[in-house]
Amino acid sequence: MTTWAEKYRPIYFEDIRGQEEAVAKVIDFIKNFPSPRETPSGLKKRAIILYGSAGTGKTSLANAAAKETNSEIFELNASDLRNKPQLKETLKPAIEQRSLLKKGKILLIDEMDGIAGEDRGGIQELVELIELSEYPIIMTANDAWTKKLSPLRKKCEIIQLKDLDYKIVKDVLIKILRKEKKFIDNKILTEIALKTKGDLRAAINDAQTISKLSSEEQIKTLFDERNKEENILDVLKKIFKLKASNETLRTFDQVDMKTDEIILWVEKNIPLEYRDKKLAKAYELLSETDIFNGRIYKQQYWRFLVYENIFLSYGIASLNKENKTNFTKYKRPTRVLKIWMNNLKIAKKKTIAEKYAKHSHISIKKAMKEFPIIKLLINSNPRR
Amino acid sequence: MNKEIDHDSSIWTEKYRPKEFSEVVGQNDIIKRVESLTKAMNIPHLLFAGPAGVGKSTLALVVVKELFKNTWKENYLELNASDERGINVVREKVKSFARTKSLGKVPFKIIFLDEADALTPEAQQALRRTMENYSSGCRFILSCNYSSKIIDPIQSRCAIFRFKLLEKKDIEKVLQKIAKNENLTMHPDVLEIIYEGSEGDCRRSINLLQSTAAISPSINPDLVSTMIANTKPKDIRVVLDYALAGDFENSREKLLDLMLKESISGQDVVKAIQKEIWNLAIEPEIKVKLTEKTGEIEFRITEGSDPFIQLQSLLASFVLAGLGKK
Repeated sequence: MTTWAEKYRPIYFEDIRGQEEAVAKVIDFIKNFPSPRETPSGLKKRAIILYGSAGTGKTSLANAAAKETNSEIFELNASDLRNKPQLKETLKPAIEQRSLLKKGKILLIDEMDGIAGEDRGGIQELVELIELSEYPIIMTANDAWTKKLSPLRKKCEIIQLKDLDYKIVKDVLIKILRKEKKFIDNKILTEIALKTKGDLRAAINDAQTISKLSSEEQIKTLFDERNKEENILDVLKKIFKLKASNETLRTFDQVDMKTDEIILWVEKNIPLEYRDKKLAKAYELLSETDIFNGRIYKQQYWRFLVYENIFLSYGIASLNKENKTNFTKYKRPTRVLKIWMNNLKIAKKKTIAEKYAKHSHISIKKAMKEFPIIKLLINSNPRR
Repeated sequence: MNKEIDHDSSIWTEKYRPKEFSEVVGQNDIIKRVESLTKAMNIPHLLFAGPAGVGKSTLALVVVKELFKNTWKENYLELNASDERGINVVREKVKSFARTKSLGKVPFKIIFLDEADALTPEAQQALRRTMENYSSGCRFILSCNYSSKIIDPIQSRCAIFRFKLLEKKDIEKVLQKIAKNENLTMHPDVLEIIYEGSEGDCRRSINLLQSTAAISPSINPDLVSTMIANTKPKDIRVVLDYALAGDFENSREKLLDLMLKESISGQDVVKAIQKEIWNLAIEPEIKVKLTEKTGEIEFRITEGSDPFIQLQSLLASFVLAGLGKK
C-alpha cells in the first residue's frame, strides 16, 4: 500500500500549496535559463537551491517544474555524491547528454544537507559542473546557509519554502480524507495540523494512521494524553498537600499510569514541595520504592508493587503534618526526554569510540569513558 | 629499530605496542614464563589478571604473533566481555570461529576474551562449558582486573598470571623511546606528572603524551597538567557544592548533565562522591555519616532499578549535611 503522502504528492505547480512566491521564482528561473554557450560564465545564476523545513514541498516543487516544462527529471541524492570522482562520474554525462526525443531535462540533487563535511572537493566540483550544465540544476536542502554550502551559494539562486500555515495543512488533510472516504473529527484535524508545525508530510502520515481508528478511539487518543496529565497533577496535589489517611492509599487508583511513570513525576516534584529534612525523608522513601522496583524486575515478584504504592502515597503524605492550602505549580518530568535526546547526540560519538576500541584492543565502554582524550588524539591527526 | 614500529597506525599506543617478548616492559617473570610456554608451541588456557594498562592485551597479542607469525589474524579472535551482549553472543562467536581448524603447525587457535570479569557468575559457568567443548582446537586467554571475580572452575583450568602495576621506570622507558622517535623534547618533571596523572596506566600515559605533543613538540609540565585537567571527566564537586548550599534542584540538574555528557554510570558517580567527601570542608562526624549513606546508596543501586533515584536520595543527605555546617 502506498502512503497517502506518496499518493497525493503534488504533480503540477497549482497542486503545491502555500508556496506561491517560491513557485513563481522557479517558473521565472526555468523560463530564463541560459545555455552555457550564450552567456559568459558567472553572469547569470545557473542553478537553484530550494530550502525549507521537512515536508514543505521542496522535492515536489522540483518534480512539478519538470512536469510543467515537459522535461525529464534526473534525480539523485546528495549523499550518493561523496567525493569528486563519484560526483563527476554521475553528473558529467547527465549535464551534457542531449535527452532522448530532444526533451528538456532538469537535474535534481536532493537533500544537500547530506553532502556532508567528509566530501572531498565534491562541492567545488559541483560548482564547476553548474557552469557547464546545459540543463537547470535544482538542489534541495533544509538549511541553505551552512558553511559547507557557501561556495555554491554564489552560483545559485536561493529560494525559500515557508513553513506551511496550519490552515493550509488542515485544508489539504480534509481534501485527502474526502477522496479516501475517511473521517477524522475536526478538532483532531486541527490538533494534527498544529502539532506538525508546517510539516505537511508528517501531518498526512498522522492523519492516515488516525483515520484507521474508530471515531471513539480517535477522540480517546486525543484526550487521553491531556486527561492523564490533569489526573497526575491532581494526584500529586493529594500526596504532597494533604495529611495521610487510609484514603491516601487509594490515590493512584484514579490515574491510569504505570508506577514507573508515577515515580518520575514524584521524583521531579519533591524538591518543589519539601525542603531539608523532609526533602531527605521523601527521597529516602523514593529510594526504598526503587529498591522494591529492582526486586520486581529481578524476581518478577509483582506483589512488591503493594509496598511501592504505600511508600509513594501514604509514605510521602505522612510528611504532611497538616493539610496545606498553598499552590505549587508542578513540573512535568524531563529526565527521560533528556536521556533520549542525549542518546541521539552520543550516537556519533559511539561510532567513533567503536572504531577506536577495535583499533586499540579495548572495550567500547572504556573508549567512551576516555573519549575526551581520544578526541584530542583524533583531532591531532591530519591523516585520514 | 624502525622495523618494529607499526607505521600503519597514527595512534601511538598502537604504533608502539610491543610485538615481541623482548619489547614488553615490566612483568619480567611473567614474560619469561609465558615466553617459554609459547616457544614450546603448546600453551594451556591463560588467565591474565591485573590493573588496566599494564600489558595484558599486549602480551596476548605477542603470544599470538609469536605462535602464528603472519597468519595470526586468521587464527585469533578478540572478544570483549563488557561489549558483547550476553554470554550467548560470546558462545556463538566462539562456535563459528572454532568450527574451522587452524592452519599451519600450531594445532589450535586462540580466543582472547578481554574483561572477562564483566561476565556474571552464571555467564562464566556457560563460558566454562564452552572452553571445555572447544578445548581440542582452541586456547582461551582471559583477561580481568581481579582474578577473584572469576569463578573457581575457570581459574583451575587456566594458568594464572598476576600482572603488577608498572613502575615509574618502566613507563619512563616507554615514553622516552616514543619521545626520541617522534622528536619530542621532554622536561624531566613531565614524567612524574604523567605517571601520577595516568595512575600507572601505560596506555593512558602514551595517550597523554600524544595529545600533549599535538599542541607542542616540547613537552613541559604546565602543558601536561592542563591536558590532564582537560581530559578528566568534569567534576562531581560542583554537584556536591550545590547540594551543600541547599540548592537541591541545581545539584541534581548538574548531576544529570554530568552523567549524560560523560556517559558515567550511577556506580561511578557514587565512587567519585565517596572519594570527594574527604575534600569537603565539613566536620569529621558528618564525613563519616555521609560515607555511611554513600555506602548504603552504592548498595541500593545494585538492588534497585533506577540509579538516578538513589543518587537523588544521596544528594538530599548532602543538603542535610550542609544545614549542619551553617
